[in-house]
Amino acid sequence: MMAAAQATQPAVGDAYLVGRAQEGYLDAYELLVQRHSGMAYRVALRLTGNHHDAQDVAQEALIAAWENLPRFRSGSSFPTWLYQIVTRRALNKVSRGRPVSSLDLLPALADPAAEPATQTERNLAVDAVTDALLALPFPQRAVIVLHHFEGLSYAEIASVTGSTEPAVRSHLFRARRALGTKLEEWR
Amino acid sequence: MNDPPLVGPVGRPLLAAVTLPCGADVDLLLEQVADGRGTDRDAHQQQCVHCQAALSEFTALWVPVTELAAAPVPAPPGLAAAVMNQIRSHIGDVWYTLEITESGAIRIAARIVAALARDCARMIPGVRVALGRSTQGSSAALAEKATVGHRHPHAAVGVLGRTAVVDLAVAVTYNDPAHQVARNIQRQVITTLRDQVGLQSVKVNVTVDDILGDDER
Repeated sequence: MMAAAQATQPAVGDAYLVGRAQEGYLDAYELLVQRHSGMAYRVALRLTGNHHDAQDVAQEALIAAWENLPRFRSGSSFPTWLYQIVTRRALNKVSRGRPVSSLDLLPALADPAAEPATQTERNLAVDAVTDALLALPFPQRAVIVLHHFEGLSYAEIASVTGSTEPAVRSHLFRARRALGTKLEEWR
Repeated sequence: MNDPPLVGPVGRPLLAAVTLPCGADVDLLLEQVADGRGTDRDAHQQQCVHCQAALSEFTALWVPVTELAAAPVPAPPGLAAAVMNQIRSHIGDVWYTLEITESGAIRIAARIVAALARDCARMIPGVRVALGRSTQGSSAALAEKATVGHRHPHAAVGVLGRTAVVDLAVAVTYNDPAHQVARNIQRQVITTLRDQVGLQSVKVNVTVDDILGDDER
């Protein structure tokens, strides 16, 4: 019922939906979940390294966001807040965790125009990046994912991680070097 | 793929160096490339062979990172539904009693009534967004008591048993008269719930809390 009707709904802002959800309109929160569950899963996958953990983290984060909605400050950004919850849950999962496996992290990039040899080379390169990313310490992995994969600014990352912009930049310098060094070795 | 890495000063790999022979900071060059500004070369970089070589090397190195970042990662189907099912399981249902006979009670969950009302409201011209919620407050408590511990057929059916209170929050189109749209919503929702569910007494509270322009689609 919700999905079919939703297909014709115009875009309303997150702030509107959060406000209604805080007033008890559960279907407003359902629209937020539909809108942001992809992001939650994607970030969780890149931080934890496997689909199972990523699904757990994404689900827990979205439920935790619902439970903590009364504390959400109006005027704040819901996606930034959700990034914060997902990142913390992913850290908890990884800290408890089993060794990460990059074997099932992402599907191979499919480029119908590419020659098979080129496609294989690209997939190997992507695997190398995935392995290198998962080999980074969690704080460095988080800033790389949030900035270079999710497009967050230094200020937004500082807000997500409870840090400062200079600290974020410093982490990013180190993370890029570490990632680049591993990619150089692979080449 | 098998080219040796560019070397910095003293023959070390480039990323082992802090600066290039021209004094350029290696971290800043890598940041420039990683942030997509590898071709935005300043006056020095346009003239400097060390910087140009490093920027080219870093560009090649960073390509798979950019490709991985651009690769779509679809969420598993059912993730959103799983989240909402778990949330709903924590929220107690409020029930409206439609009929009680010797065979048992026919009840409908208040959230279903709210969903029907919401979907009906979305069909009204001028309505851009409609959200519905279950009965709240004292009406909810009264409706619940009417169905709990019931022993006698028909005893709980009456005003409370068949009365629904629905709250709708709507956003309407800028040029449509909000008051008229709200009235239309009330009329249509009441008719729909009576015809489709058998609810005889329905109170529909409509809050118009946003107005959207035609270009806000």
